[in-house]
Amino acid sequence: MESIIQFSPYTGWVYPNETVFEWSVLIAVYPYLTGLVAGAFTVSSLYQVFGFERLKPVAHMALLTSLSFMFFVPVPLLMHLGHPERAFNSTITPHLSSAMAMFGFFASFYVALLLLEGWFAYRPFIVQQAQARTGLLGRFYRLLTLGSYDVSEHAMGYDKKWIFALAVIGIPAAHGLHGYVGFMYGSLKSREWWSSDLMPVIFLFSAIISGVSLLSVLYVVSCKLRKIPVDLACLKGLAYTIWSFIMVALVLEALEFANIVYKGREGVDMIMQYVTGPLLWPYFILQFAVGAITPLLWLSYMIWRGTTGRALVVGVTVCACLVLFSVFMMRWNVVIGGQEISKTGKGLLSYKLHLFGKEGGLVAALLTMAPLAVLYILTRLFPPWTDHVTDAPT
Amino acid sequence: MNKDDSKPTLTARRAFLGKLGGAATCAGAAVGAAALGVIPAIAAKPEGAPAGAAASGASFPTKDYDWSKHQWGFGVDATKCIGCLRCVEACKKENSVPQNAHQFRTWVERYVHIEGDPDVHIDSQQDPVNIAASGSEKEFRFANRYKDVKVEKAFFVPKLCNQCSHPACVQVCPTGATFRTEDGVVLIDSTYCIGCRYCVQACPYGARYFDEDRGVADKCNWCYHRITKGLNPACVEVCPVGARVFGDQKDKQSPISLFIRNNRVQVLRPETGNAPNVFYVGIDKEVN
Amino acid sequence: MPKHIFRLVSLIVGLMVVAVIAKPFLTVDSFYRFGHYRANAVPEIAAKAPVLQTARYCRDCHTERHALWSAGSHKSVTCEICHGAAQGHTDKNKLPIPKDSLKLCTLCHETMTGRPSTQPQIQLSKHNPGQQCIVCHNPHSPKIVANAIKVTGDAATGKKRAEDCAGCHGAEGNSPNDTWPNLAGQSAAYLARILGAYKSGDQKNEIMSPLANDLSPADVQNLAAYFASVPCKPMPPTVKPVGNSAAGKVLAENCIACHGEGGLGANPAWPKLAAQKPGYLVNVLKAFKAGLRKDPMMAGVARGLSDTNMADLAAYYAAQSCQPAK
Repeated sequence: MESIIQFSPYTGWVYPNETVFEWSVLIAVYPYLTGLVAGAFTVSSLYQVFGFERLKPVAHMALLTSLSFMFFVPVPLLMHLGHPERAFNSTITPHLSSAMAMFGFFASFYVALLLLEGWFAYRPFIVQQAQARTGLLGRFYRLLTLGSYDVSEHAMGYDKKWIFALAVIGIPAAHGLHGYVGFMYGSLKSREWWSSDLMPVIFLFSAIISGVSLLSVLYVVSCKLRKIPVDLACLKGLAYTIWSFIMVALVLEALEFANIVYKGREGVDMIMQYVTGPLLWPYFILQFAVGAITPLLWLSYMIWRGTTGRALVVGVTVCACLVLFSVFMMRWNVVIGGQEISKTGKGLLSYKLHLFGKEGGLVAALLTMAPLAVLYILTRLFPPWTDHVTDAPT
Repeated sequence: MNKDDSKPTLTARRAFLGKLGGAATCAGAAVGAAALGVIPAIAAKPEGAPAGAAASGASFPTKDYDWSKHQWGFGVDATKCIGCLRCVEACKKENSVPQNAHQFRTWVERYVHIEGDPDVHIDSQQDPVNIAASGSEKEFRFANRYKDVKVEKAFFVPKLCNQCSHPACVQVCPTGATFRTEDGVVLIDSTYCIGCRYCVQACPYGARYFDEDRGVADKCNWCYHRITKGLNPACVEVCPVGARVFGDQKDKQSPISLFIRNNRVQVLRPETGNAPNVFYVGIDKEVN
Repeated sequence: MPKHIFRLVSLIVGLMVVAVIAKPFLTVDSFYRFGHYRANAVPEIAAKAPVLQTARYCRDCHTERHALWSAGSHKSVTCEICHGAAQGHTDKNKLPIPKDSLKLCTLCHETMTGRPSTQPQIQLSKHNPGQQCIVCHNPHSPKIVANAIKVTGDAATGKKRAEDCAGCHGAEGNSPNDTWPNLAGQSAAYLARILGAYKSGDQKNEIMSPLANDLSPADVQNLAAYFASVPCKPMPPTVKPVGNSAAGKVLAENCIACHGEGGLGANPAWPKLAAQKPGYLVNVLKAFKAGLRKDPMMAGVARGLSDTNMADLAAYYAAQSCQPAK
């Protein structure tokens, strides 16, 4: 009894085993999710560690966003595995030379860190809710207090140090988390499109811009939903962050592509044929021109002209959406694009995105949207708004 | 913290040292406990070089076969291959490889140089023209597509897993489901593989595939179940022209030792540093 | 230290200690024994039973065929290539005999770009197109050996000796009845071979064997030379073969490669069939089919012929002119 396997059509010469695409759109979604996590955390750290006061309105939401997306990171992986019930094999007996195994530990460590940071940030709120609420919710908050209702200045002093330490550790942790994903691709010898020393850094910086953009969009949307005015200084701070990191990301991506072309290793002809052919639209036009250059120019213009008010809000929101799109295209172009270029260096395959199925487009879209639903629930349990009376004093 | 007290007092110093000691103890306990778990893992070398079966006394893996006494190697003489594809069919039968034209443990490639055409034409079993010539995805045959064409040079090249000495696939496996044995074969433990397909991506030769039905990665293992019983791999057994050579490199008179000694042999993609153990004779510049 | 910090740190440390302690319990058996893998996987993989059994396995029961095969040109083609894997093969569970030899044999033997010239190859369109390979080629020993014996005998001496043969084979080798063959104009090398076979016992016939025993090797040579030199005669009009000559002509297309167009001979090692006695031809074909007359190639040919086919072929060849058209 054979299962129906989808074989990809191809041109040129490819190895017989390559006609089945091993990593589907879900494997493009998962670095996208970890990138959003890392990027959102960066915003939180900019406030906690680097003292960007103007980002205070989004600092806690950044944590909650990071957390809600982090919960969903394992899902595309589990859906992709041939034996998800054995997934813990890589945790119990991790192969230390494997980037994927070590990523599992980084991810677990990072989840713990996020939970801790969030707990510390919300402790006064939790303590207050534990005393005020009854029923199941009350029990939930009381459990979280670990039996201590101490919110004296002495205790808060400790909390403040912990938050700072966690935020400091969190920066390399978040960046290591996502950098490892880049390393997973960049360290492989088998594909010229992936094999690059710059890959971890590229993934990292594009992750940061995606996370910051996500936060910008979420902040504006949350303000609109809560019918309060957008803090323009905060939004501008986010815009500055996106703007500066886009430039770095663009330089790195351009450098990586330039290296491939300039070094001209075996297989470069096929890469050039691919990039000027099937990948022209997804790569040059969507990822770069529309998704990166356009926001960069627009943000530059707004910064130069000192745009403010509604124009700023609209501009930053649209740019953020474009960046979010661009970063997804980047993940797609790397993961799917890399597999469309044959290992032989002499052929091209073409990936067919199915709408339905365990690893189809619908599941991918759901996985990207579902964290927002969790975020909504978290904002109800742990309101991140700075205009709220019971907010943490940090 | 006393912001207005610039000189640390004795009590403050003691308190600080106490805190430091406490933190160090906690950290030490944590690190020590973690080390107990991690050190055995690190000590186990990733490429499966064991302490030796002799250490435990018994012959491993079976009582009739001791892996420390063999070092297997494989040779391919591409000047002899006639492209009959009996090896591909035999392998599929022997190892229950999925009956289709897109997942192989071993396959044969055809290279054709046509007069006046600078690009070499390469095809293999997944080519739709060849599938049509064989009649189905379960049977294999090369279509005689060049019989009316002026061909300058043409030859066949059998391919299979190279059982590398420094395998990229073993390096990237997150669980340790794939590993290299002491007798030089890279095996897959299909009860432990989680099916992440990282190894399939990492192999530069395209030797691995993912078996959807079983949910695990699979590849040629030189018919380990046959070679540990003194038989040849199935593909070597059926090759009617002797294009495939197999043997024990520890035995200086084995077919493979003679093959390597008497020929100028080469390997595929030496620049990867994988150190493959399938030695080719008679391949050409564009074979990779 | 505030209570909550202490409890938090204890929780974290506690979880880590649990994890470290749990690891050996959760790790599968035999992991880490030789390296970062489950050592028991190796004997598990090694224990799998082989599917292909090798020709040595077939030899125990199919001894004669194995002997023929291992002495022939197909000795590097193992049984299981054509007959399938022998695992589980018993008397009750027979292995298939391939039906379409044309499809099977051409996998290796079709002339194809890229095949080394050391491989025997045929152009499908020129080598008996559409005909099954096993009609002429015994798959277990396919090489057709056409070693024509050198005949240096003296026809005149042979003529004298041939007087003893006229009783059955007729004056000057033109047989008077349907059972015994014409010898006039037959290939000398073939005659020498067949007489030699009767002498040595390779071929057995109640009448011919004792007669051939009385012949010296020189006699054989001379007789062969004589009969080859005698002009052959066409079939007498009184002979009315039973079979359908037209049908026989269609079948005879498969015979041209060895017996020549119209049975006039293609290779001196093999007999000419033109104008031969139809009754004799049928008997010989039946003898080949029954294994009473031994020839690996003809055995394969005859196996595929029904009685009607044999009669038709005989009728066709009997009607052919034995003189080549000018």
